[in-house]
Amino acid sequence: MDEPKNHIPIKPGVCFPWEEKLRELNEIKGDKEIIKKVWEDADSLGYIYIWHCLLSF
Amino acid sequence: MNNKSSDMENLYAQRLKRYVTAMRNGKPDKIPIRPFVAEFTAKYAGFTCQEVTHDYEKAFLAARRCAADFDWDAVVGNMVYVWTGLTEAIGLKYYAVPGIDISDQTGFQYREPPEEQAFMKPDEYDELIKDPTAFLFNIWLPRVSKYVSAKGEPTSYHNNLSFLKGGMAMLSYFNSFGTQNELLRKESGTVSAISGIFKAPLDILADKLRGYLGLLTDLAERPKKVMAACEALMPHLEFVALSGADPQKNVPIGYWMHRGCVPFVNMEHFNNFYWPTVKPIIEQIWSKGHQVLFYAEGNWDAHLKSFAQLPDRSIVYHVDQGDIFRVKKEIGHKFCISGGVPNYLLSYGTADEVRQCCKKIIDEVALDGGYIMDASAIIQNDASIENMKVMTEFTREYGVY
Repeated sequence: MDEPKNHIPIKPGVCFPWEEKLRELNEIKGDKEIIKKVWEDADSLGYIYIWHCLLSF
Repeated sequence: MNNKSSDMENLYAQRLKRYVTAMRNGKPDKIPIRPFVAEFTAKYAGFTCQEVTHDYEKAFLAARRCAADFDWDAVVGNMVYVWTGLTEAIGLKYYAVPGIDISDQTGFQYREPPEEQAFMKPDEYDELIKDPTAFLFNIWLPRVSKYVSAKGEPTSYHNNLSFLKGGMAMLSYFNSFGTQNELLRKESGTVSAISGIFKAPLDILADKLRGYLGLLTDLAERPKKVMAACEALMPHLEFVALSGADPQKNVPIGYWMHRGCVPFVNMEHFNNFYWPTVKPIIEQIWSKGHQVLFYAEGNWDAHLKSFAQLPDRSIVYHVDQGDIFRVKKEIGHKFCISGGVPNYLLSYGTADEVRQCCKKIIDEVALDGGYIMDASAIIQNDASIENMKVMTEFTREYGVY
């Protein structure tokens, strides 16, 4: 996975936006919303990791 | 529910009500006691600083032992907070770790690099401003970690392990606070004092990016870049603060105030950089129903008029080396105040001196409620156990409304 191409604007809570991830995927055969939600939930863990490295540790 | 757990639930409910009433600047039944006990817990429980810093289960145990033995209303589950097992897994360079870099009897230390070795270079503002999260991952982390590879460098076993171990360890540590808070509640009826973390954009620039000296240079030589960087950090710092906030909206978000005050910066810098990039965040957090605990480390008396601009009850103001009687006069009508008992007194004063200090604070600051008893700064292993008992017992006896 490369870095997201469109850095601006990336919202707080996001490392790699869903819109960028979507471009990687071919046709989605199932429920797109499930994939989106789980992607964003997992992505937010990466966000929390780096910001807590900065703020808390 | 058996009798013991029912008693603990009742005690917890009483303490929560007392603590929250005071924080909303009201008058509870008694003055709440909420000491921010850090390495003091190790001293009391018979652990070294190394043990509570490097093994967070021991830190949790020590905090619970104190909470069970002292009549305190609220504590932080682990005020030592920086778990150096995690920082070692990530490979962070800026900590002096008890038992590794310094004595096992000394609390962990933050080591700021010299200006020329700052973790962010003066010509990198634009990259930070463009995408702070990407900057932290790509530029900052490889510089602060001895394991993480910089962009363009080959990856390594250490690099890969740093993310895996660091991520899993952080998740494990944060999740364990939930268990710790439940145990505090069940074992001693003690409230978890704060939830979530906030720091000011200008402080973050000084603490972890440009260094204090680098920031001062930048404020003189590239002020527009500094302001733009603060503005870029704002939504992220607000997001992180709210992401850790108490869902019940009882306890405040901790705001650790470092070097944004006079004389670390001048009044113009505070008025033009620091405060305009903090105030909107506090107002936004309050609009969502969360208080913020201003942990005013050092002396922030020069800025009380600015803090008074905030909505009534939106903050709890903790006094370290400021003049607590002046604070009461200037902002006590709007906000709850905490702290003010000098740490040196708790370490080296006599029992009578501690009583006299607590009495003066209670008489002049806590008269109509809106006050929480605590030391000035976090309480480390230099504090006397006897004096901590005196502060607690005197406040319980004399601090009844």
